[in-house]
Amino acid sequence: MTLTAVLARAPGQIAGEAAEKGQISLVNYFLVVAQLALLLLLLRQFQIESAAFLRLAMLAFAGFAIHAWLPLRMRLPFFVMLSLAGIGVVMGGVNAAWLVTISLALVGICHLPVSFAWRGALLLGAAGILALQRAGHLPFPWSDAIWPILGAMFMFRLIGYFYDLRHDKTPPSPAQSLAYFFMLPNACFPLFPVIDFKTFRRNYFDDDAYRIYQVGIDWMVRGVMHLILYRIVYYYLTLAPHEVANPAELIQYLVSNFLLYLRVSGLFHLIVGMLYLFGFRLPETHNRYLLASSFTDFWRRINIYWKEFMQKVFYYPAVFKLRKLGTEKALVLATLYVFLMTWFLHAYQWFWLRGTMLLVAQDMLFWGILGLLVVANSLYEMRHGRARSLGTPTRTWRTTAVLVFKTYATFWFICVLWSFWTTESLGAWVSLWAALGGEYTARMLLYPSVVLAVIIAGSIPRESLRNVRASAQDDRTWMRSRLVTVASLFALLTVSVEALHLQLGKDFGTFVHSLRSGQLSRLDTAQLERGYYENLLSVDRFNSQLWEVYMNKPKNWLDVESTNLKHFVGGFAQTELIPSFVQTTKHGTISINRFGMRDRDYEALPAAGTFRGVVLGASSVMGWGVGDGQTFEAVVEDRLNREWAGGAFDKYELLNMGVPGYQPPQQLVMAEKAFEFQPHAIFYIATGHEISRAAAYLAEAVNKGIDIPYDGLRDIASKAGVTVGMDEGEARKRLTPYRREVLTYVYGRIAEESRKHGSVPVWIFLPQVREGSWQEETAEAVAVADAAGFVVINQEDVYKGRNIDEIRLAEWDDHPNVRGHQLIAERLFDGLAEKREVIFQPAGR
Amino acid sequence: METSIDFRRIVKDYILEEFLPGENPDELTDDLPLISGGILDSIATLKLVLHFEEQYGIVLEAHEADKEHLDTIRSIASLLTSKAR
Repeated sequence: MTLTAVLARAPGQIAGEAAEKGQISLVNYFLVVAQLALLLLLLRQFQIESAAFLRLAMLAFAGFAIHAWLPLRMRLPFFVMLSLAGIGVVMGGVNAAWLVTISLALVGICHLPVSFAWRGALLLGAAGILALQRAGHLPFPWSDAIWPILGAMFMFRLIGYFYDLRHDKTPPSPAQSLAYFFMLPNACFPLFPVIDFKTFRRNYFDDDAYRIYQVGIDWMVRGVMHLILYRIVYYYLTLAPHEVANPAELIQYLVSNFLLYLRVSGLFHLIVGMLYLFGFRLPETHNRYLLASSFTDFWRRINIYWKEFMQKVFYYPAVFKLRKLGTEKALVLATLYVFLMTWFLHAYQWFWLRGTMLLVAQDMLFWGILGLLVVANSLYEMRHGRARSLGTPTRTWRTTAVLVFKTYATFWFICVLWSFWTTESLGAWVSLWAALGGEYTARMLLYPSVVLAVIIAGSIPRESLRNVRASAQDDRTWMRSRLVTVASLFALLTVSVEALHLQLGKDFGTFVHSLRSGQLSRLDTAQLERGYYENLLSVDRFNSQLWEVYMNKPKNWLDVESTNLKHFVGGFAQTELIPSFVQTTKHGTISINRFGMRDRDYEALPAAGTFRGVVLGASSVMGWGVGDGQTFEAVVEDRLNREWAGGAFDKYELLNMGVPGYQPPQQLVMAEKAFEFQPHAIFYIATGHEISRAAAYLAEAVNKGIDIPYDGLRDIASKAGVTVGMDEGEARKRLTPYRREVLTYVYGRIAEESRKHGSVPVWIFLPQVREGSWQEETAEAVAVADAAGFVVINQEDVYKGRNIDEIRLAEWDDHPNVRGHQLIAERLFDGLAEKREVIFQPAGR
Repeated sequence: METSIDFRRIVKDYILEEFLPGENPDELTDDLPLISGGILDSIATLKLVLHFEEQYGIVLEAHEADKEHLDTIRSIASLLTSKAR
């Protein structure tokens, strides 16, 4: 059937219904409700997004059940009420009240009875005050949790809304305005499609209601499928740049990095699909973007709402103003302007979601390069046109082959450009390509073959009918969509049943089990750990799921950041705690004594009859996020004095020499300092990834050209071919085969020096509160410590069976809280008691 | 300015010639969605607008380059007619 013939049909005609606007038959209603019930089950089975989203989906689906039967005039107000309830359900009453109040004030400014110029100025003023508050320069009485959602609601929509108010002849009703800003799914999604207000109004119930609802379900199911595919990529295919060692891994890196975008397309399908349930027949958010055959095509297919927003607010106004310069000049300048603004608005979006501006060279370069490519492509299309068709395009073998070739080339080019955008640094991206010198195996054909197969399948000619009313589809297409949706629902639900997927083998069962929960990937967990150990918190891309965790982090989370606690001292360790520093935080006081220890004051040398131990470690030892006297070191010291004093020793002193961010090699420096205090024992507190962190620090030291005062470490760096100034990622890659050797040297030297100074070397393993990739190296680290001659106390299971939320500081900060420190102290005391004879030796020194 | 111009026919002819060469004219109906149907993209819209500005001295505003005004031959013709008066 041709496009024209299809469009000639009136809405609802194909379904054989002559339904009034917004009306649905009882049979169709139950069909929709049944599918929603299955979809809800699917969301639950796969834990799509968050528990909050599941609650929101329940509210939305229950709301739909009522909404579908309301008189049309009551539906929009009902949707507003439901949306407000959704905000309350997700954010809690107080936060919701603040959010609604601020929102009403902003919308109210748009409608003040003054000129547009005044309203615009007032809006800018209000936005300026909010920006100062968001940046932490002005106080605000509401919770930090409001910002991302408030930002998502207004940062772009307010621009589009104001633009439409200026130009649209029909003023919106209050219900339309409120429905637009408070859109139900928004409460759960800070990354929200930039829905056009005019389209939002115009397309409201402009088709057969049943077909609108049904398309919404189709899109939500498609969204879930995108999200499940995303999890496969995120959990199983992503690699860190330093893990890329050969061409096959390089290809995997490029493809998986780009495919992480499935999360955005999945979420946008879920969001828009949900809006369809309430009659908002919006356009597609994404149109098979993996099948783009040119850069302009890519720009048109990926995040279509964004493209349309930029087109409306920036491109057309610019191109119309510049048209006197000539069509081509106007097009070039307007397109470059759009990409410049896209870059800026990306940073602007980051600001409202995270509270800091994202100004990264890669962002500018990425948008700049993409802009230039789109300009070149646009000029070509301007001069030579592009193939368009009213029906199914006619293809020959030759045109199909050309299309497949162009699509394949575009895909790989975008993959490379995407990797450039998302890799941590330019240096890391450049060093990625050294992998081309690695071993060439048949495995490198895997991704190119799969991609080619997908592109060939996707290039099969099909009806070019898109973004038109569902009632315009012919019966066959419509029924095929129904079949795909229902079959997908049942297939996914069947696979999700544990009793069934376990029948297909343990590996498959584990695979499905992993897809059924939303968690951080191996790499993001490692990066969170990295933040935990190094306090880098360097999450500066939307592609990482980790940014969502950090997005919730209050601006001044601990009042004092690591950089304020430490100062640069040069040398191999680089930093130390600032002596005599005192700061009161919301988690208690942090006091650093005159020796630079987070501890009470001690004499330089222990008194006779006093047992002295020095505790080496990083932030958890220092007591990040707990007050003085609440660190596990302090708790154990108190207990030793309470229960053991008067025995072999009159008194026990544990000196806390933990420094946030310290890595194993830095402890070599700290151990030397520790011996000045004449300890009976050195307690080295090890944590996850000792082996890789030791090697990473050596890479950092070489990269920075820091003098390495240890022959053993210098020799390893030299053997690995690591040289001063080399990119850290490349240096880490080269040190990978020597990682264990680095730690062996560090442990060996600390243990040996301890014995020389008459101190018992004790190695204590302290896990992270969250299960994760840190566990991979524990057994090896224990073996290295054992071989070095440490007395080993392994507390690997100290948190086992505990609810993580009860023992950590926050979702974005995995340091143990007060309860966590108490747990560690209890276990450590028991561990020390077990090894009492070995560790607490009066004649130890 | 003359207002009896048959913009429907002119717009249709222009679209067929410029963007849909070789397509069946009967299939390009007055109500066929051009923007949402992917026939008029931003480049084609720009060409179309500039063509009518040059040929008929009609000045269009940036905010009029949207689906409301340019999505069908009928709506384009209506806009051009209103501007030509």
